[in-house]
Amino acid sequence: MREVFFFSLLLLLPGCQKEKITISENVSETFYVENAGASMRVLVQGNTASKTFILFIHGGPGVSSYFYDTKYISQNIGDKYAIVYWDQRNAGASQGTSNGGNLHLDQMVEDLKKVIEVLKFRYGQDMSLFLLGHSFGGLIAADFITRPGYQNMIKGIIDVDGSHNYPLNDTLTRQALLTEGNYQVSQKRNVDEWQPIISYCNTHQGNFSLEESQQLETYSTEAENYIDSIKHINIVNLVLKYTIPDKIPLTAILCNFLYTEDSNFNKELAVAQFSTSLNIVTIPVLVLWGKYDFTCPQALGEDFFNRINSIDKSMVISPKSGHNMMFQDKKFFCDNVNEFVLNHK
Amino acid sequence: MDKLKTGISILALVYCTLCQAQCDSINDSSASHFNLKLSYNSSIIYPGLSIGIEFPLYYVNVQVLKNQKIVRYFTKGRFISGNLNWYHHPDFHDNLYLTAEWVMRRTRFTGFISEFSVGPGFSRTFLGGTTYKVDDNGNVSVIKLAGYNYALITIGGGFGYDFSMKKQLPFSAVAKMNLISMFPYNSTIYFRPVLELGIRYTPGRSKNKVSNPLQYQNKNERSIFL
Repeated sequence: MREVFFFSLLLLLPGCQKEKITISENVSETFYVENAGASMRVLVQGNTASKTFILFIHGGPGVSSYFYDTKYISQNIGDKYAIVYWDQRNAGASQGTSNGGNLHLDQMVEDLKKVIEVLKFRYGQDMSLFLLGHSFGGLIAADFITRPGYQNMIKGIIDVDGSHNYPLNDTLTRQALLTEGNYQVSQKRNVDEWQPIISYCNTHQGNFSLEESQQLETYSTEAENYIDSIKHINIVNLVLKYTIPDKIPLTAILCNFLYTEDSNFNKELAVAQFSTSLNIVTIPVLVLWGKYDFTCPQALGEDFFNRINSIDKSMVISPKSGHNMMFQDKKFFCDNVNEFVLNHK
Repeated sequence: MDKLKTGISILALVYCTLCQAQCDSINDSSASHFNLKLSYNSSIIYPGLSIGIEFPLYYVNVQVLKNQKIVRYFTKGRFISGNLNWYHHPDFHDNLYLTAEWVMRRTRFTGFISEFSVGPGFSRTFLGGTTYKVDDNGNVSVIKLAGYNYALITIGGGFGYDFSMKKQLPFSAVAKMNLISMFPYNSTIYFRPVLELGIRYTPGRSKNKVSNPLQYQNKNERSIFL
């Protein structure tokens, strides 16, 4: 009896890894890409029959693409195109052993390249692929498209509140917090809350250390709560809503996040910038930004937009969004993404 | 000086004896039997299975007496167990892990069980999807049985009911929450709570039914009342 049990188990386990490639209008399939000690989860959802794929590059670092997979996005983008949710190394449901030494931006860009190669292997070399980078994902996207020849692998890029230049980001965050903070105080709105932020910005004026940079980021997230016109996101509700249906491995996400957030990788990121090499970019670009994004202020998006050499480029600002447009102004986000992809696929 | 040392030694012995008199330990013949375990081994909603065997290392019946009356009666056991466990988290991984646990268990006269366990283990995961590898030339291949090996530590506690205490059934039902930690997982430690709901079977245990602790003591004639 015991032998039968073990034998059945051994037969069942490889079954979970059987290759399954579905071309249809409503797909949901997961596979992994192994590279340099990390097996990175890739979820493909939506309409693979369209042969058009949008690859989400999540923020963080160390967060997960699980959180972008909302019902609204599935129903309003996934019905037309396939959405690819990639968990970066040491993030989300990505797995490995002692791989922390490979946690570098260079490695992540190579990971992305391999994910694209696997996507094309699975769904056809003739697919139309777009990259959508959000927040830290914007840095990976900027690094990717500025490497010689890499932009030819994709049809276009969508930069959503992304950061392509961390040192500039800090400077602009400070400026945006000061400008908005002073305005809000003059209007006598949330004065007690804005005062410490203004005070911090006044005393920290440049050459930011990693700690200062992280404090500015904390303040920029906090500041969104003091703007009445934007929709506030309750992360806990979001997690509770999707944990069971999306089979989210919560503790894995948490362990990865805590590790990445505290790793030396952040020191490397603190000086990362691609402003000077963006001029080689010629593919179509859509820049989507939230007016009240203090984490990656609008001026950062403008820097990205002005430096690329693409003829076909546009920048659109959501008047009621902060740093997370896909949740705060979801219709605006989906409409703009759909229109851009439709015009360039 | 020598007399003083001898006196202290005698006093210490007497003291220890008196302390021991507070607790009566009776060797239970059933204790030499091993236990077999079968459990549903789940993490919230994800299914799994656990099978195991445990051997007693130490097993005593303890009576706490006061004014010649039993105020508390329970059995205290230490076991070593070996378990083969598995859970299935769709799209994430299947985890097959072996554990060796040190188990501390207390069973009351009513049949109520409480236990605590800790031990090392070994885990082998199987990724929850086809896994690809791309070489430097862009050639894509599938990795068969992709997954990782991890060292593991499990710690857990639970409650249950021993049916052999009141009825002639050699079974126990147990609910236990374990926290498994696997490492090095992405250069850190991965924690996962796992709930076990299962039964434990003790071959030959039903013959040692205990209906009353006093009766049980008299049978063995090893009780000491203060």
